[in-house]
Amino acid sequence: MSIRRLQFAGSGPVLVFAVLFLVVVALKQGFSAFDLRSLCVNAAPLALIALGQFVIVLARGIDLSLGPVASVAGAVMALTITDHPAVGIAGPVLIGIAAGLANGLSVAQLRLPPIIVTLATMSIWQGIALLVLPDPGGEVPAAYQALTGGFSSPFMGVAGLVVFCLVAGWILRTRFGLHLRALGGDEPAARLSGVRVSRVKLGAYVLGGVLAALGGMYLAVATSSGSPTVGDSYILTSVAAVVIGGVPLSGGRGTPLGVVMGALILTITGSLLYFADVSSFYQSIIDGAILLAVVGTGSARDWLRDIARMGPWPSRTGQPS
Amino acid sequence: MAVTDRAAVVSAPQTPRRRRLPAAAPILLLALTALLLGIGNFLAPGFAAPDNVLQLLKLSSFLGIAAIGQTIVMLTGGIDLSIAWVITGSAVVFTANCSGADGNIAPAAALSLGLGLAVGLINGWGVTKLRISPIVMTLAMNNIMLGATLVYTGGTPSGSSGPLVRALATGNVGFIPAMVILWCLLTAVTVIGVRYTRGGRRLLAVGESPRVSFLTGSNNDRVVVAAYAISGLAAALTGILFSAFSGASFLGMGDQFVLPTIADVVLAGTSMFGGRGGYGGTVAAVFFTTILTTVLVIGSIPQGVRSIVYGAAVLAAIIVQRLLSRRDDTGQ
Repeated sequence: MSIRRLQFAGSGPVLVFAVLFLVVVALKQGFSAFDLRSLCVNAAPLALIALGQFVIVLARGIDLSLGPVASVAGAVMALTITDHPAVGIAGPVLIGIAAGLANGLSVAQLRLPPIIVTLATMSIWQGIALLVLPDPGGEVPAAYQALTGGFSSPFMGVAGLVVFCLVAGWILRTRFGLHLRALGGDEPAARLSGVRVSRVKLGAYVLGGVLAALGGMYLAVATSSGSPTVGDSYILTSVAAVVIGGVPLSGGRGTPLGVVMGALILTITGSLLYFADVSSFYQSIIDGAILLAVVGTGSARDWLRDIARMGPWPSRTGQPS
Repeated sequence: MAVTDRAAVVSAPQTPRRRRLPAAAPILLLALTALLLGIGNFLAPGFAAPDNVLQLLKLSSFLGIAAIGQTIVMLTGGIDLSIAWVITGSAVVFTANCSGADGNIAPAAALSLGLGLAVGLINGWGVTKLRISPIVMTLAMNNIMLGATLVYTGGTPSGSSGPLVRALATGNVGFIPAMVILWCLLTAVTVIGVRYTRGGRRLLAVGESPRVSFLTGSNNDRVVVAAYAISGLAAALTGILFSAFSGASFLGMGDQFVLPTIADVVLAGTSMFGGRGGYGGTVAAVFFTTILTTVLVIGSIPQGVRSIVYGAAVLAAIIVQRLLSRRDDTGQ
């Protein structure tokens, strides 16, 4: 891949988001500070959980348990923070670490396929969430809402997303981040160059679990309560946000900015339909179409060119690349 | 994932592959199933009686039919996440067009199966021609089907299936539920199709090593497209039968099938990376997980604990399999 294409790989999601944003502005004939704030606050939990997914996908893994981990983290926070603020903050983070350790040890030490391990732990965390908090409830004092960056000032929401990008970018600049991407790019080569493969993988799952827990805490603060099923909708959406953000599931490449853009894109399609006065039923069609457009345009062009050049029988049909 | 070539990635010499696992996993599952039947019988006398076992098999058959497609797709090294809303979408199309009349069954079923086939073909086209990873491709198609179903129904599914299909989904032939007979037939066709036909062998070959398969003259793309098409058809059939069983179609009815089909296929010892396994083991796994869930329900275990036990059982089963096989299967 040439350097020019690498640069484009980073700017694609920004471009898609910019276009969608302009369409919304045009439809609404303006975009107030309130709209900006609510867009950012709505996208923030998805951005956090998707960044967790991103770290894991970079190392060529996938984690379907991040959504339910977020549910449990939010539920624990909502139940404890009023009486014991320290437990309410530390508990969810520890839950994220524990979840990451369980997944990471299974994947890195036992070499089990990530998708099936996290499918099993997904079910376990969904069950734990129902035991911790059978019905939506609990309470998070409104004072904490200032921390989520959305409610005191409109631009705090934007600042929150920028902070996520910077922190995630910083992590990728550490030695851990380098090893993470080396691992996703070519595992045998990374192993031969001295990367401690299983330790880095474990680290990726733990970091992913913590980010998911932070996403759950954000949700709890933003809604002032917890819910045992609130995270379920993020299970596959976080994967979609990562892919729309320009990160291949084969790992090794991608930027935090792209992932946050992926989260914003999936959030803004809702407003787009609302302001275009189209039924929200169409939202998932648009999300699916964007997902396919992002991953498929390049190869679709190749395919059409093959068809045009060789008639209905592309010569390399079925040939593994 | 579907088109990566394991043989090319792994250059170091490997120990010979152990073949005893594919047989060991289903036997283990059947032993655990027998144990669960014993526990169930202790909790509710009569649970292990032949009548009730047949009812449990009937309950398993819907998941079992959906798992046919998932097994075949996973044998190619792929995965099909779109079955959730293919099941719902085809069920909704079926009931709306059938509106409770036997005369409408044929066109309604044709429309519904055609929908499943179309989604399967698009999935296969995206995975092979556009080289989109199966997770992303089928996830996107699932979203598109979700939206399309909402738009088609306006949020409220209507109609019901004809009495004939309802008799198939709920009735008995003699003392055996018709669904069990149908499931047995489909199982026989699938097992024989995968093991003993040329298409089945090509399916296994594509999953094992796309390059070798290509060099032996197989049109890999066609095989993979066919696998997704079968999955779409199986999902549509599940949707038709399950809506008849439940009395109506409802939104989200397919969601409960996706992850269990994947878990069952893997429990049966089919590799996530394709090439190894078959449908016979999946049948054992489907029956095992259905009985596990039923036993937990009759033991009046709360839903949270049920979910934890289900996850722990899946995790334990794959860990046991890993320890039994000890094969270095990290290829992705």
